[in-house]
Amino acid sequence: MYEGKDELTIIQEDIKRALKRPGAKWAMLLDLRRCVLCHSCTIGCVAEQKSPPGITYRPVYEEESGNYPAVQRRFTPRPCQQCDKPPCVAACPNAGENLATWKSEKGDSAGIVMINYDQCVGCGRCVIACPYKARALDKGAFYTEETPKIEEYEKAPTFEYSKQWPREKYNIPVGVARKCHFCLHRLRKGMLPMCVSTCIGRVNYFGDPTDAESLIYKVMQANQDKIRVLTAVKGEYPGKAPEFAKASATQPRVYYIVA
Amino acid sequence: MPDKAEETKAGGGLTRREFIKCSAVLGGTLLASQFAWAADLLRRAEAGLLTPEEEYELAKAENILYTTCLQCNTGCGIKVKFFRKNGSAVALKVDGNPYNPFTLLPHYSYKTSPFELNTVDGAICPKGQAGLQTVYDPYRITKVLKRAGKRGENKWKSISFDEAVNEVVNGGRLFKDVPGEEDRHVEGLKDICTLRDPELAKSMDWDIKEIWKKKTKEEKQTAVAEFKRKYAGDLHHLIDPDHPDFGPKNNQLVYLWGRKKAGREQFALRFFAGGLGTYNYHGHTTVCQGSLYFSGKAMSEQYTAGTFKDGQKFYWQGDIEGAEFILFVGANLFDANYGPPNRTPRLIGKKFAVVDPRFNKLASKAWKYLPINPGTDGALAMAMIQWVIKNKRYNTDYLENANLGAAKKAGEPNYSNAAWLVKIKDGKPDVFLRANELGLAPKELRTKDGQVYTFEYLTVLKDGKAAPVDPNSEKEAIKGDLFVDAKLTASDGSEIEVKSALQILADSANEKTIEEWSKICGIPVSDIEEITGEFTSHGRKAAVDIHRGVAQHTNGFYSILGFYNLNLLIGNFDYRGGMIAASAYGVDGSKDGQPYNLGKLHPDKRQEFGINIIRYGNKYEESTIFEGYPAKRNWWPISSHIYQEVIPSIGDAYPYPIKALFSYMAAPNYSLPAGHAQNEILADTKKIPLYVANDILVGVTSMYADYIFPDLSYLERWEFQGSHPNMATKTQPVRNPVIAPIPETVKVYGEEMPISFESMMLGIAEKMNLPGFGPGGLGEGGDFTRPEDFYLKMVANVATDGTAVPDADDKEVELFLKSRGHLPKSVFDPERWQKAAGEKYWRKVIYVLNRGGRFQEYKDSFKGEQVANKYGKLINIYQEKTAKTKNAFTGKSNKGYAAYIPVSTALGKSPKDEGLTGDLHLLTQRDITMTKSRTVTNYWLQTILPENGIIINGTDAHRLGLKDGDRVKVVSSTNPEGIWDFKNGKKKPMIGKIKVTQTIKPGVITFVLGFGNWATGAADITIDGEVIPGDPRRGRGVHLNAAMWLDPYLKNTTMLDPVGGSVAFYDTRVNLVKV
Repeated sequence: MYEGKDELTIIQEDIKRALKRPGAKWAMLLDLRRCVLCHSCTIGCVAEQKSPPGITYRPVYEEESGNYPAVQRRFTPRPCQQCDKPPCVAACPNAGENLATWKSEKGDSAGIVMINYDQCVGCGRCVIACPYKARALDKGAFYTEETPKIEEYEKAPTFEYSKQWPREKYNIPVGVARKCHFCLHRLRKGMLPMCVSTCIGRVNYFGDPTDAESLIYKVMQANQDKIRVLTAVKGEYPGKAPEFAKASATQPRVYYIVA
Repeated sequence: MPDKAEETKAGGGLTRREFIKCSAVLGGTLLASQFAWAADLLRRAEAGLLTPEEEYELAKAENILYTTCLQCNTGCGIKVKFFRKNGSAVALKVDGNPYNPFTLLPHYSYKTSPFELNTVDGAICPKGQAGLQTVYDPYRITKVLKRAGKRGENKWKSISFDEAVNEVVNGGRLFKDVPGEEDRHVEGLKDICTLRDPELAKSMDWDIKEIWKKKTKEEKQTAVAEFKRKYAGDLHHLIDPDHPDFGPKNNQLVYLWGRKKAGREQFALRFFAGGLGTYNYHGHTTVCQGSLYFSGKAMSEQYTAGTFKDGQKFYWQGDIEGAEFILFVGANLFDANYGPPNRTPRLIGKKFAVVDPRFNKLASKAWKYLPINPGTDGALAMAMIQWVIKNKRYNTDYLENANLGAAKKAGEPNYSNAAWLVKIKDGKPDVFLRANELGLAPKELRTKDGQVYTFEYLTVLKDGKAAPVDPNSEKEAIKGDLFVDAKLTASDGSEIEVKSALQILADSANEKTIEEWSKICGIPVSDIEEITGEFTSHGRKAAVDIHRGVAQHTNGFYSILGFYNLNLLIGNFDYRGGMIAASAYGVDGSKDGQPYNLGKLHPDKRQEFGINIIRYGNKYEESTIFEGYPAKRNWWPISSHIYQEVIPSIGDAYPYPIKALFSYMAAPNYSLPAGHAQNEILADTKKIPLYVANDILVGVTSMYADYIFPDLSYLERWEFQGSHPNMATKTQPVRNPVIAPIPETVKVYGEEMPISFESMMLGIAEKMNLPGFGPGGLGEGGDFTRPEDFYLKMVANVATDGTAVPDADDKEVELFLKSRGHLPKSVFDPERWQKAAGEKYWRKVIYVLNRGGRFQEYKDSFKGEQVANKYGKLINIYQEKTAKTKNAFTGKSNKGYAAYIPVSTALGKSPKDEGLTGDLHLLTQRDITMTKSRTVTNYWLQTILPENGIIINGTDAHRLGLKDGDRVKVVSSTNPEGIWDFKNGKKKPMIGKIKVTQTIKPGVITFVLGFGNWATGAADITIDGEVIPGDPRRGRGVHLNAAMWLDPYLKNTTMLDPVGGSVAFYDTRVNLVKV
């Protein structure tokens, strides 16, 4: 709760305001002191995008250190960092606005690194280029394909980028690169990104960080000394061990309050 | 990463999937073509014909239905979002219901229009997010399955609903095609439930209670002979005429339930008890946190009509939102604890300490973590109580209030019996001193509800002078001295030794020094002092909040009392930040102003009587089978729903053999400790001649059934979830059908409906012409020929509890109807629904269902420093009712006060003395992604943890020469082979992977619940000759409950708490064997 309202209620108001603000660019702040490793963001996102086996847009990394009983545990959710200098775009042979992938700088998608499934050829170079292990290729699998029936909900469309993408074998979005897109399709309806929406710990703040009225702005201001960004994530996709610093060459638009 | 699908060659190069032709499972049914929608969409997308709404259809108000989750028992409010095509719909997303206080803090006002909230989602846990996978599970059964092989062989054939009902009712040589059962005649319900005359039942019940009142064996025998004479023509109705107190043959029908809530609760009671007349309807409470419920009951017994009664089966949790400090003991807030979505946001920014043998996620956010030795929580409570009393940190004013009058005068919402005087007999606390024993305040004749009874004043000392107390008097305000240890003079001149309840508590806490308590529990004295100091430094805005970690031990009941008494010492009950109780809008219509009192709308209700198979509420000493101590099995005077008693008592035929078992959403062999011992009984057709199960697939227990009636999943059906003790806001989340039913449609009472738990009961009721069902089945309430006839009346009751909700306006009515457009008439017919709810209440019912239930306003949940929904009554520090009960194994009286009791076997010995030993202490834990046996079907959840392991401290791993990833078998004194034996020829060894960590106490190991499954789609099953291959992903990992100790005396039952009933999950020691 923040000043008598649920953070989620306030952030939803902030998003609606940002949609009307010229020059607004999306960003996310995570207060890791609040993350309780519930995995709701991970699974909520999978459910929202119908991510297939092998794809997780937002894993949560679990670390432990110390010796019992003096143990420390840290939990780090890792969405796409929506870098302002995205290595994935630089690596893409078909990069550019409305081509395979690009950094959006205007309109209601400003701040998001976009993918156009129609244009991506699935070469996989962006997957290797991302230091955060945030991108992966859709291999076309279904969770229920090893059972008596592939269920309807797995084949029904996802709504990513405000289009409908029914899931057909050998059809888009199968074969293309996929990653977190800040749930642009929900933002456009004045709704929270799925991970923010279902976070029981109220870890996330979201919106236009230059809007002084917004909660993300206020919390960032109040915690300036604690704010870090990810420089890399070690381990195989979707990653295992995060590395933080005060700044990163990729200029992520995802910030962390690290305890 | 999950493996890619493998093609299994089942002839002709077919995939595993394509080979399934069996229509009894969902995977084989012909639903609308999976490709039609997709193809159409593609065409339209290419042509640029998608509308703006289609950009995100899930956000449209008419594509959203509100209901209640059941992926765990928290039951958060949810909204289900649909993708529609040609009149049908598939649920694509589940999110939180913003009207429900479990998913937003604060939640939205109930008055908010649903048209304003279509784009507002509440926060729920990952299980809630994954719920579609429980519902749209390829292994769901759609037809009734009948056993075609031996019990547990997993050979089935599908039969028609009507055939199944007929066989269950009429019996016969039902399994003549099964080798070995060719001549086995099965008695059907018509042969078992023979006593159908409610007047005869009432009369026999009365006379049996008279037999029980007789004190000597001879007197009892005479009374039995008299009974046999009186009922000579009806003795054939009894299980055993020489033991008429067993009750009627109807009692040989046993109904066992797992995860069932209100709505289905009343429906099933109406059927099994009111209709079929059995006393054997038992729930699962003791596998969850039974001793918490029954300590709550014991603490809430009221002094009514001259005796202690009317205790409620409930417990308290902390209102952490209002607290400044919380001490959590054995509570796992971020994984369970009713539940993570509502507890977590309220904990943000709070100062709290955690006591647990595991450094769990909660501990990682705590101000202080205290590593405790498993099973010694009571010792910590004693130490803390000792410190509070010694340092006078208790709330004197609160504790001195000795009756309701004193509480009201002081503006207190409740009061305790701290000052009441207890007689000491043979050095032990006995019953309360009645004032008339001192010659004060003579006995009085009073009336209550038309009955005359003898009232006796109780006694306190006030400034050293004895004074009578009427606890319930509001006129007199009586306060009493807190610490009394005295000898008083009785009216006959004799000496009576007395102590106040609080003195007894103090004595209990002082039985050992704080250093000795510290040594037992393993927590340093300085830490105990620090947390107790902190706990008593925040007025009433502090709580000791406990859960299963304390309850699920053999000493659960008494350890729990210790911690609740700490809360009483600071008087925090009903205060913000203190202990609060759940409150829910009533469903059964028993309150004034509610239109349908369903208990009363029951013509010719049968009355159950006798001794039930788990012997709860029955006193061993009173029964005709009293044979001294130890009794063959325990008797339960103050607890009920003793889950671990049902199957084992059936196995022991104690007190009598049974003829039929019905189970609903139950998995006792999986969920109970040492549940493996139940498999033998489940598989035994002599012990259980007929077994009928309700399940959504072939589950861990239902696989042993003779008949499985498919059920509706939580998104397809009705229920009333109720609330939880930590929720200050009054709620009633309603579960209602939001997707089309998956089981096939049948006809009952001429009505089309899907096969379900309800239709099974209605079908049997129709066949047997049971009262309370069918045309006129609700008496003045009308017909009861469809499930909705019952449930919609419950919604109307919820809508009118207290102040009635508003009528839905026309727009809301339109939304209600439009959003249900995809539901078939078999579950949704608005005209029929309107009739069932009653014309007058229809728009109120719509208002409630449009919001997923009824929820109090956030601001109305609190009243100043207190919560609005109060417990508001006497809380017992000393429990006379408990003190008057005896342990059926030892014959000793049970203590009526908090104490530390070391972990012991049923006979009261230390496990070591009975040969129970082991290297490592075994715990189990709930992780947020799993709930017992049913969530393994959710593949999304499996991605978080595909396989569990055996979690062990690095020190122990090193000592045992084990590395992370090594495979070990877990063995114990009562399971030296370390296996699950399914008694069907198959066995599964308890082998798991080592996971080394520092997050657990050395000497202790644990494992995550929900793995090691052997059914639920994990195993191959055969239906109608077709093999349905299991999915090995569902059988991964290890389930160590079979290593948990069986009690050496009971042999087929887990270690247990003989007073509170809880099963001991955390009292076993095991050894690891490298494989």
